[in-house]
Amino acid sequence: MIERRKMIFLSLLVTFGLVLHIIENMIPVPFPIPGAKLGLANIISLLAIVIYGFKEGLTVNILRCLIGAVLAGSTASLLYSLSGAILSTLMMALFYKYFKKVFSLVGISIIGGVAHNFAQVTVASIILSTFGLYVYLPLLMVIGLLTGIFTGFAAAFICQNLIALLEINLPGRRR
Amino acid sequence: MLTKGDRILIVFIFISAALMFIGFQAYSFGGHKTYAVIEVNGKLFQKISLGQSGARLEIRVPGNLGESIVEVDRDKARMLYSPCPDKDCMRQGWVSRPGQMIVCLPNRVVVKIESDRTPSDLDGVSF
Repeated sequence: MIERRKMIFLSLLVTFGLVLHIIENMIPVPFPIPGAKLGLANIISLLAIVIYGFKEGLTVNILRCLIGAVLAGSTASLLYSLSGAILSTLMMALFYKYFKKVFSLVGISIIGGVAHNFAQVTVASIILSTFGLYVYLPLLMVIGLLTGIFTGFAAAFICQNLIALLEINLPGRRR
Repeated sequence: MLTKGDRILIVFIFISAALMFIGFQAYSFGGHKTYAVIEVNGKLFQKISLGQSGARLEIRVPGNLGESIVEVDRDKARMLYSPCPDKDCMRQGWVSRPGQMIVCLPNRVVVKIESDRTPSDLDGVSF
């Protein structure tokens, strides 16, 4: 019964992530920097990590990227978003597991945003085989920081209410 | 809502981004080498590196109609003389930015400005 509930909730998370992903594509970016974006779907991956854990977070994120590429983006940008999603999920799960006392969700989200941008720049410069693209990294780091603060606050607010509301069995808590 | 660790992280990322930015500026990561590439009949004739410390020279280029003269002045290049009938290539003046080119179709002489940073086989990249 709990397994089924978990499956349904994870697929709901994927759906929310997809909707945010598509809406985000419609918002124009005011900076002429490749790779700069709001990262709204980060809220969803952060939620999946907090509620279930690393494996589930990664699953939700990769599924979101694959389906999102088919629905909204060109498949050319799949490689960038997928690499960014994997690295950011990895870093966020790591920091959430071991440094929960030090950082709040906002800090975890900032780490995710910066890791996402770093992975994107790295993959882009490997594909284009020029390391000149790293010129964008400082600017992208600041953008990742600001959007990370925003998505972190959003995730924290959702988490507060969601956990109380749904009584999902968190890892380590048995009913 | 923000913990002390969050604040330290924000400051740390800001400082490291600023340091990287300054570092890139100091090493002039953006300032890359440019070359003037002269082609005759689609084949490479000569490649001259441009820059503030570059030379001032006039290059005689044997074309289809006769001899064109390309002048290179430190960081820019132009068609000084061409035997072609319309002289459009001479009227184009100096070129210096990567991607600019002078084409003299009658004489089959092309002067291109290239840089070592942008791969010439890609027109653009979408993210």
